[in-house]
Amino acid sequence: MTTTAIEASALGKRFARRGNWALRDCSFRLPAGRVCALVGVNGAGKSTLLALAAGLIAPTEGGITVLGGHPADARPDLGYVAQDKPMYPQLTVAETLRMGADLNPGRWDRDTAERIVSGGALDRDARIRSLSGGQRTRVALALALAKRPRLLLLDEPMADLDPLARRELMGLLMATVAEQGTTILMSSHVIAELEDSCDHLLVIGDGRVRLAGDMEELLAAHRLLDGPAQDGTSGAGPELGQDTVVVSHTTTGRQCTALVRDAGAAPPDGWRAAEPSLEEVIVAYLRNPEVPGLALDTVFAAPKEATA
Amino acid sequence: MTARTLHSAPSAPSAASAPSAASPASPDARPSARPRQIRWLLRLHRPALYAWAALVLVLAAGLLWLGGPLTDAAAQGWRQFSACGMAEACAYDQPAILRYRDFYLYATIAVLAVPFLVAAWAGTMLTGRELETGTAGLAWTQSVTPARWLAARLLVPAALVTAGTGLLAGLHHYVWSAGRGRIDTAKSWYDSSTFFANGPVPVALALTGLAVGALAGLLWRRSLPALITSVAATGGVFVALHWALPYLWPTVHRVSSLKLDTPAGVGLSAHSGVVTSSGEQLPQPWCGSSVSPQCRAVYEKLDAVGYFRDYHPFSHHWPLQLTATAVVLALGALLTLAAFRVLRARTGAVRGMKTAA
Repeated sequence: MTTTAIEASALGKRFARRGNWALRDCSFRLPAGRVCALVGVNGAGKSTLLALAAGLIAPTEGGITVLGGHPADARPDLGYVAQDKPMYPQLTVAETLRMGADLNPGRWDRDTAERIVSGGALDRDARIRSLSGGQRTRVALALALAKRPRLLLLDEPMADLDPLARRELMGLLMATVAEQGTTILMSSHVIAELEDSCDHLLVIGDGRVRLAGDMEELLAAHRLLDGPAQDGTSGAGPELGQDTVVVSHTTTGRQCTALVRDAGAAPPDGWRAAEPSLEEVIVAYLRNPEVPGLALDTVFAAPKEATA
Repeated sequence: MTARTLHSAPSAPSAASAPSAASPASPDARPSARPRQIRWLLRLHRPALYAWAALVLVLAAGLLWLGGPLTDAAAQGWRQFSACGMAEACAYDQPAILRYRDFYLYATIAVLAVPFLVAAWAGTMLTGRELETGTAGLAWTQSVTPARWLAARLLVPAALVTAGTGLLAGLHHYVWSAGRGRIDTAKSWYDSSTFFANGPVPVALALTGLAVGALAGLLWRRSLPALITSVAATGGVFVALHWALPYLWPTVHRVSSLKLDTPAGVGLSAHSGVVTSSGEQLPQPWCGSSVSPQCRAVYEKLDAVGYFRDYHPFSHHWPLQLTATAVVLALGALLTLAAFRVLRARTGAVRGMKTAA
């Protein structure tokens, strides 16, 4: 059993030969058993990263190791739900599930599939094309989870759901994976939803890693400082210390608020320290691309393994 | 943080600590069984399967009707016509002759259209649309490797296309043979459309159309451009084969007298012209028989002593059919190989095949 679910090193993907990089120089490590949130603005490369991990597309440069091997070899052990939940529209719900059983002989868990599907008021004989967004998501999750994956890759799984269905399906998802010990990498826009269900964070911006690591450790590595604004200068000045990385600062009147990387040293005189929220940290890193990213997970061994 | 407590021991093999006994399906039963995808392939393409079956049945029935009653009626008409001789008033069944001619034309066009239909379907429905909508990715992450996914999508239609097209081409040959020598206006064996509908060649063309369509779908990842590309490429194969056909088998060289209007030798012609006293072969001056003084002057000026023609007599029908089939099948095999290469490059599934085996 490997303890690393996904390891990417200098991973890059460009779709057209002269096109822009969808993902560039992306290195991170996701330990097994984690529920990892993948966050980034639209077009940051989240879907590309998930498709690379699922072995659906090949990297242009760098390498990615999934469950200790090539993504193509890991496919039987992973579940993947693409953003628009592609399924065969002409099949009924019952047929889709039977197909899942036939395509995963020996590892299909019918009970899991039935449990996920039976939660929604779903007509088994309804065709996939006639389903609502929530019902579609339910069937797609049933397909992905009933093959008992060791790694689950979900691309905006709850995007087209109302808050109630979102909460219900998230709970169902978490209960199922907790039972199976599945690692999850899940992209989302809704940070609040991730805070409740995820324990690991991967933030990408402009195709590069901005933040990576255990969610609590990442939060603990930052402080929100509140203090008097300096005249004329950029606000958070030298009194914050030379070694402190200022991620962002905003000056409102005579008050200055700064998010800093901080190992826990006492704040300078006149400043108050507070724990930042997850959203504050993520937004600060995405808004200020010139600030170096922070990775608390990169304990890379030799790069030989990762370059495939 | 509820999940944090659930996944509190990320470094330990968490599956072992999870209550897996709650689920009846044992995850340890690592199966050697292959995914059963053929059944679902047939289910997904059920409309196409029914349409193909209906098309083959209707065309087969039509060909049997054409080769039997229609041919007999037309042959009877021709016998009546010949019996009239030079008589001024002649009663013969002209409608039967015309009906035969029309329906033979339709039947040939229908058989020739099959490769285009197969290519159009393969380009859109088989690969292009699955990549467009993302259902290909669904199959690949449901324990079907991309290579097996494509292999099933080529093999099952290939079997059905071979059976159906083979039946139609065989019946077309039966129709053609039934009219041969009995109907004066029946098409010769080397008539281009008849030749391409008359043996294993249409089967090979249809299989190549399948490969072209699958490859176009993989390259475009969208159904409409794949449809256009695969139909155009199949047309290109047709044209190239038509052009190359006379050179696919050694020709018969025949020299004939200049007194004839054209070089002798009935069949599929590769080259013809005039031959000089030194044995040199010159292009046809297109004059006519040397009986006319003008043409005799032309031939004398060229020092021509006879016509020549390099051609294929009827005995070359089957060698040409089989060679053309082999050439087209080889092209289809190359296209199939290219399709697998494209898929492998796209998914990076270097060892995908090995895992599934």
